[in-house]
Amino acid sequence: MDDVIIAILRSATPLVYVTLAGVIAQRAGIWHLGLEGLMIAGACATILGTVLTGSILSALLIAMVICIVASILFWFVVEKLKANQIIAGLGLTGLGLGGTTLAVESIFGSQAAVTAPTGLPRLGAMFGAYGTLSILVLLMPLFVLAVWVLLCRTRFGLRLSAAGEHPFAARSVGVNPGRMRLIALMIGGVLCALGGAELASGSLQFFSQNMTAGRGFMAFAAVIFGAGHPIGATFAALFFAIVGAIGIRAQLVFGERVPHDLLLALPYLATVFGIWLSARLRGGVKAVTGFGELRDS
Amino acid sequence: MTESIVSVFRALIFIVIALALCGLIFSVAGYSAPDMFRAIIDGAFLRTGALQQALRWGLPLFITAAGVVISFRAGYFNIGAQGQFYIGAICAAFAADWLNGLPAFIVIPACFLAGMTGGALWAMWPGILRLRSGADEVITTLMGNFLAVIVLIYVTSGPLKDPTGSGQQASSRPLDAAYRISTSYGVSPTIIAIAVLVGIFMWLLVNRTAFGVLSGLAGRNATMVTWQGARLWNIGLASFIISGALAGLAGTVELMGPNGRLASGFLPAHGFTAILIALVANLSIVGTAIVALFFGGLASAALYLPVIAGLPSSAIDIINAAIALFITAKSNIVDRFLRNWRKRGWTT
Repeated sequence: MDDVIIAILRSATPLVYVTLAGVIAQRAGIWHLGLEGLMIAGACATILGTVLTGSILSALLIAMVICIVASILFWFVVEKLKANQIIAGLGLTGLGLGGTTLAVESIFGSQAAVTAPTGLPRLGAMFGAYGTLSILVLLMPLFVLAVWVLLCRTRFGLRLSAAGEHPFAARSVGVNPGRMRLIALMIGGVLCALGGAELASGSLQFFSQNMTAGRGFMAFAAVIFGAGHPIGATFAALFFAIVGAIGIRAQLVFGERVPHDLLLALPYLATVFGIWLSARLRGGVKAVTGFGELRDS
Repeated sequence: MTESIVSVFRALIFIVIALALCGLIFSVAGYSAPDMFRAIIDGAFLRTGALQQALRWGLPLFITAAGVVISFRAGYFNIGAQGQFYIGAICAAFAADWLNGLPAFIVIPACFLAGMTGGALWAMWPGILRLRSGADEVITTLMGNFLAVIVLIYVTSGPLKDPTGSGQQASSRPLDAAYRISTSYGVSPTIIAIAVLVGIFMWLLVNRTAFGVLSGLAGRNATMVTWQGARLWNIGLASFIISGALAGLAGTVELMGPNGRLASGFLPAHGFTAILIALVANLSIVGTAIVALFFGGLASAALYLPVIAGLPSSAIDIINAAIALFITAKSNIVDRFLRNWRKRGWTT
């Protein structure tokens, strides 16, 4: 039983951090499809940082700085240049995927996976079987709680929601919606860096191209499934992770009788199911909403 | 007319900004940005045979991008072109496998039918989920892409596996030469004819039919179109199906033309590039044809870079992504600048 829980925690933790980033952006009125790109940038920066500086702490710092800079760029494009959030988000994701591949190639001269000498600090022997988990797993509930308090119990959170839901009303009480979005995206950048770090450095300590494999998009789906609420979205992310872990488990139990590829597909199928269910429960996307802005003439 | 000239200029300005960002990224990564751009322009447009290469990559991209134009015009963010492209190619490969041995004039049309049907079906389920339940099509089509990659891996290492293939990359058995519509070099009269036909049909559909007008309006103001008595369900589903069918058609062309076999994970950037082409062309079919050639050139440079210039091919992915980041931008500053420019009479 312990190993199942460990497997679930391992796959859920990176997803939860990135989901929290998505929740904060969603509250501020931004559909953040760049999560995937920020996550892989965080993962890559953590591993390369560890290899180059030898210390995991400075690597984490580098990862956070890179993700914050990328978030500011995204904010500038979406807020100041009024770009379409979905397309710009996909562009940010593409920059993350391409940029990390380029970085690995320019430093190591090949596209092979990079292994780091050290990873994130582990919980240690006092946690028994769970001692091999990284410290970010233990901090995850604290982060969820902190984001919940920030969004649902503080003046800042209220203003953030106002900036997202009704920028005009927010402005009328002296809140600058643009600045609120910038802050939201920067906090999101830090969380994505942590999520990427946990993914790359939490258990196996390696980075390979496209290693996020859609987790950033799954986190975005978790935000929608969880109705933009930090606790709800966390449970949605946990659900996706549990489905993934069940797949791996099923393979150990049933072996060759279940096709391997079907099990790989389970998390993606669960995501589609989650989106469909939340649309059924909450009405989903209302008609076509203003995407005509894509076209000028 | 002047409006469209302004939008072309705006697109060009933001592409220049995107390229500047790319230059910055290249320099940070330790490459010389001027060398990189020189190699890309060389590989894309200046070396001998560059036009054929741009056509080879650009024509399938144009077919997929025309489909993206249809769904984006109707207001649906079908970003699953990559998945529909893969499923189309897979269905065509199955058709070719089952009908192997029959004369080419039966097999080739059957493959095209299978490919287009496959692509259309793969676009249809997100369409139905969107139209019936309101499930956000951005996520469902994205997940469709990941699922299609898994299906492709399964097919190339399972049912259609080439037993003589190398261990490096799973691939299907190569198609019989009689069923190929071009050599591995990639451009043939058949492919050009298909692309031209697609272009003409889609231009007529968008500009000369009730569907084109209504779907264009639905993308801007769905409520109004409903009040005018149009059925949003029909328009929406049709645009999903058409865009999926075209992506499937492009997959079939790649399979039966240049590739000749399915390889797991082939052309991973096709769908994203096609979306970019549609957006850069401001969702016009004629524009898409022109822009597709440009991005076709860039796509061919991705092969040229590592082999001849010794530079990483991911540079092309970065350029595409940076353009995507900026292409939908409409900055007031740039608009004011362009308006003043026009007032002074330089562009009119």
